[in-house]
Amino acid sequence: MNSLVKLVPGVYHDSVSLMRVSQALSAMPGVDVAVIAMATPLNLDLARELGFEPPAAAPAGAELLVAVRAQDVAAATGELDRLLGELSSRTSAEASDFPARTTRSAARAGEANLVLVSVPGEHAFAEALDAVEAGLPVMIFSDNVPVEQEVLLKRLAEERGGLVMGPDCGTAVIGGAGLGFANVLRPGPVGVVAASGTGAQHVTSLLDLAGVGVSHVLGVGSRDLSAQVGGLSAIRALRRLDDDPGTELIVLISKPPAPEVARAVQEVVDKLRTPVVSALLGTSGGDLTSAAESALGRLGLDPPEWPSWSRPIARGSVRGLYSGGTLCTEASLITPGGFVDYGDDVFTRGRAHPMIDPTLRLEALTKVEPGEVALMDVVLGHGADPDPALRLAPAIEAAVGRGVQVVIALVGTDGDPQGLRRQAAELYEAGAAVFTSNAQAARHAAGSAT
Amino acid sequence: MTLGTQRRVQPRIHLTGAASAAVRPVLESARVPARVLATVSVGVYLEVRTQLEPSVIAMITGEATRLPNSVLLAGELPRVNVGDEAAVGDGVIEIGRYRVKARRWWDPAPALPPVDLERLARAVPAMSPQTSRRPGLEGNGAISLLAAGCAEASLARAVTAAEQLVGLGPGLTPSGDDVLAGLLVALRHLGSAARVERAVWLADWLAAAVTFDAGTRTTPISATLLHCAARGEASPEVAGVLRGIVGAQAIEPALRRLLQLGHTSGADLAQGLRIGLDSVLALGAGS
Amino acid sequence: MSLLPVDPHVITVGADLLGEALDAQAVARTAVDWRPPLPGTASALAAVLADPRRTAANELAVGRLLSARPQLVDVRPAADALCLDRGTFLHAGPPITWERASGPMRGALIGAMLLEGLAATVEEAERALAAGEVSLDSCHHHRTVGPMAGVVSPSMWLFEVRDAEHGGTAYCSLNEGLGKVLRYGAYGPEVLDRLRWMGEVLGPALRDALRISGPIDLRALIAQALQMGDELHNRNRAATSLFLRELAPALVEAAPGRAAEVLRFAGGNDHFFLNPAMAAGKASTDAARGVPGSSLVVAMARNGTDFGVQVSGLGDRWFTGPAGVPDGLYLGAYGPGDANPDIGDSTITETSGLGGFAMAAAPAIVKFVGGEVGDAITATRSMYEITLAEHPAYQIPGLGFRGTPVGIDVALVARTGLLPVVNTGIAGRVPGTGQVGAGLVSPPAEAFIAALNALAFDK
Repeated sequence: MNSLVKLVPGVYHDSVSLMRVSQALSAMPGVDVAVIAMATPLNLDLARELGFEPPAAAPAGAELLVAVRAQDVAAATGELDRLLGELSSRTSAEASDFPARTTRSAARAGEANLVLVSVPGEHAFAEALDAVEAGLPVMIFSDNVPVEQEVLLKRLAEERGGLVMGPDCGTAVIGGAGLGFANVLRPGPVGVVAASGTGAQHVTSLLDLAGVGVSHVLGVGSRDLSAQVGGLSAIRALRRLDDDPGTELIVLISKPPAPEVARAVQEVVDKLRTPVVSALLGTSGGDLTSAAESALGRLGLDPPEWPSWSRPIARGSVRGLYSGGTLCTEASLITPGGFVDYGDDVFTRGRAHPMIDPTLRLEALTKVEPGEVALMDVVLGHGADPDPALRLAPAIEAAVGRGVQVVIALVGTDGDPQGLRRQAAELYEAGAAVFTSNAQAARHAAGSAT
Repeated sequence: MTLGTQRRVQPRIHLTGAASAAVRPVLESARVPARVLATVSVGVYLEVRTQLEPSVIAMITGEATRLPNSVLLAGELPRVNVGDEAAVGDGVIEIGRYRVKARRWWDPAPALPPVDLERLARAVPAMSPQTSRRPGLEGNGAISLLAAGCAEASLARAVTAAEQLVGLGPGLTPSGDDVLAGLLVALRHLGSAARVERAVWLADWLAAAVTFDAGTRTTPISATLLHCAARGEASPEVAGVLRGIVGAQAIEPALRRLLQLGHTSGADLAQGLRIGLDSVLALGAGS
Repeated sequence: MSLLPVDPHVITVGADLLGEALDAQAVARTAVDWRPPLPGTASALAAVLADPRRTAANELAVGRLLSARPQLVDVRPAADALCLDRGTFLHAGPPITWERASGPMRGALIGAMLLEGLAATVEEAERALAAGEVSLDSCHHHRTVGPMAGVVSPSMWLFEVRDAEHGGTAYCSLNEGLGKVLRYGAYGPEVLDRLRWMGEVLGPALRDALRISGPIDLRALIAQALQMGDELHNRNRAATSLFLRELAPALVEAAPGRAAEVLRFAGGNDHFFLNPAMAAGKASTDAARGVPGSSLVVAMARNGTDFGVQVSGLGDRWFTGPAGVPDGLYLGAYGPGDANPDIGDSTITETSGLGGFAMAAAPAIVKFVGGEVGDAITATRSMYEITLAEHPAYQIPGLGFRGTPVGIDVALVARTGLLPVVNTGIAGRVPGTGQVGAGLVSPPAEAFIAALNALAFDK
């Protein structure tokens, strides 16, 4: 094996694009490991842990770190140049006019009515502020944004008539367009306000399976209902949906809010003309599935039988291997066991989210003991792994072969690009019991399924 | 070397886009045959062998009018010819090598907030703009009859006029059909928003009358659009003007955008909307 | 409260993956070509952007810059206009000492010593300057700007420009023409003779003519020149012609015996109007000074060693970095090795939305910016990314009469990493050489980084 490690100045690509390059390169035959990333201290450490000795980098990380260990380093770097070239040509093909360098400048053209920010968290404030100053609603997908900046943005949005969704907002659906991780949902009468991305995905996917669509899904960010932020965006989002002629029912989804925030939000809810169904996990024993069911009830519909592809299960201790934080919490409230949320910051620093890259969860699955129950979520939709069953099904088959019982909560809709039924069939055929309701999956895993 | 023993397999081309929720029932039914009815620079029209409506589906690019039966494609249009065989159903549109799937659904029926008659009346001047974009059937007797019939809720006169108008005029979407389409969506949506039940009742009857034999009286594309209008489905340009009329957005720019459509289509639709607005006001005042 | 979009058009900034997911949904999208901010600015940016004064302060400052109405009102000797003492010289750029001064700056100072009779020989002048017998100060500290070395001594005559909107006054020297001239560091006898003639004939004739013609509206004149192919820094041919057209009749009336030589001199120099344009720029940008919390750049200037910037919210402080060597076209046999680092106050044109910022208006000189008309258009378009406004009067026909980009924001410079595009003449390194070329120069990023940090953290 030969190693190459170098820094290339003057090159910038976003981390997700570079992760895809790293992945493609690592998958080349004869390549042991490849790290292609911006030369931030974090990424340099990562390279060192992998046994590379990177040179000293400029402080701001404005250089590209290339670290490759392979049989044929020249072939690998040739492929790397080709992959990076593809990234650059895509950027320059759009550059017929001088492309906007800031959200401010892009907003000046006046055509846009929505902004999606996903730059690294320390830089997200400037772009989001541009959006707020232009009076545009903004979704901040980025995490690691300081809470003071979040509060400032949300206060300004209050003054300027904007709406700040996030930071750390994983999902939104506005006028049918799915932003971030979002499912393909039919248009309909339900508006959603969510401080929990996967929670919102789950409830809206269940509604879609029941034939009920959404007007808008407004994420507000995981911290919005904390005491510090005070539910500023949740309250604005509720009012916006109340004014939206296409919204007949509002569903509010969150982990338990700070008590004083819960009171403030409730006061607003009480004054709305539009009825509101609250799904606040952990309070009064409600779960996401029952929230979807009560929403259907409010619309005068009977909940359907949620699609599932079940298998008998023997009692065994439950190992929850989750990618969605709220789904993980929900399951852990239903069934005792050891739960890990692989979407947590601890696991996503310097690598892709488990909804995109299953590597960590697949490793964890190999460590589940025979007789135990592996309970996992698989989230479909825009932004997620284009074919999760491709890697998961063989891993499930291997686990089942070792005597592990696998239960899957499959969150998605028939319209999703991955195809809900096809994914379900492949996971089931590999030996898993598959549920479209996370609560049902958790109950089944606990051996007490209905 | 062996030659010609294998059929050359052309790779499939996967396209995605945003589909009108109106075409969802057709798209998600079991697969049925279809054929290419027409192609223009910004769209491909497919006629689907189905009893459902819309039985014509338009696949369009961003430059085209977003008709209520359309699938807006993310990339370029498929290169196909009139008469090419296709299939629609099980969530997919297939034409030759192309497979088209929806990645987004948009609602062709505008949701309007409640509105009172006073607010509606304020939109009347804006709906009579000074413009060179004149409707194709300006001054036609059937139009006056339609307007009068609707305003006094005379089903006989309105239906008589509507029957004269179906298919009247040249082109893929004859002017008469566009006027009726504008009228149908205005009666239904403005009528519901202003709680003028007589207008919604009129919309139901007119809808039944014009869709009854539209399939034999006008072009297939226009017939499908009448079916959509009968259900209250329209293009975003029409929806924008309706939102403008109830004060949910600025009306002048919305009307300007509508008037730009087609040769006279936009002006014809606007004429239908105007007749609908006047009728809702007249019927509301009378009740 | 405005409604949520029913038909979204999304600006995406960040991960391509999320943008591509929108493309697959056929959602209209504008992608921002984002990149990380200049190194060492992340926390300063956060602080500056969060400053509650910023938006209003910048609106006020740039509003003043845009509304300024510079008029040429007088031509006077520096001793009189600036109360400049014998023994005080002004120079271009941020303050500098003899020790750190570059070749052309030293040459111009020597020339001024000889002109003012403060030294009889070059050696004597050098000795006196090295000994600090003459006090040096930045032109900008005296409401004045000067091209290239920008040396102003008491006997030199200045254009006096008044801002009819806000009442400010600014000065700039008279242009000597091309070739061997003091501003490029030449100090030979022909240079000094010319300067004497300018003091004895040119200055008084222009002054007398102006008294007859009345003030000349420079804002209107510059606006017209932009539409005639000037960008007012490296091309002033149209502006000079317009200027002389305004002034000629009065000049003939005021100084019948001298009018022909004055007109021949001014008309023979395509850059004659650069100096009134610079004074106009100075008067306009000075109007925008001193607004607390504003991140607007009010001066960019070079002394041949340092490139300095001043910011509205930071008083008269200079933030500097090393002046770069321009990238451009060279005259005759000269090459980059003969070039002095960037020098002169003429960057006041860029600071006020002209020069490199108006490059798209001047296709005739695109050779300086890469050779293609497209490069000129790109240069101007890129500057909209770092400016706060578009000029209401200065318009570019080729861009659909869009106003020129004006009002550089240090925060936007840091965010985009785009540095101001500066058109400039290139001075020879060796004193007395004169102009060796012309081209583009990139200011040092550290000047803007330092200004941003001061705005963020200095109290």
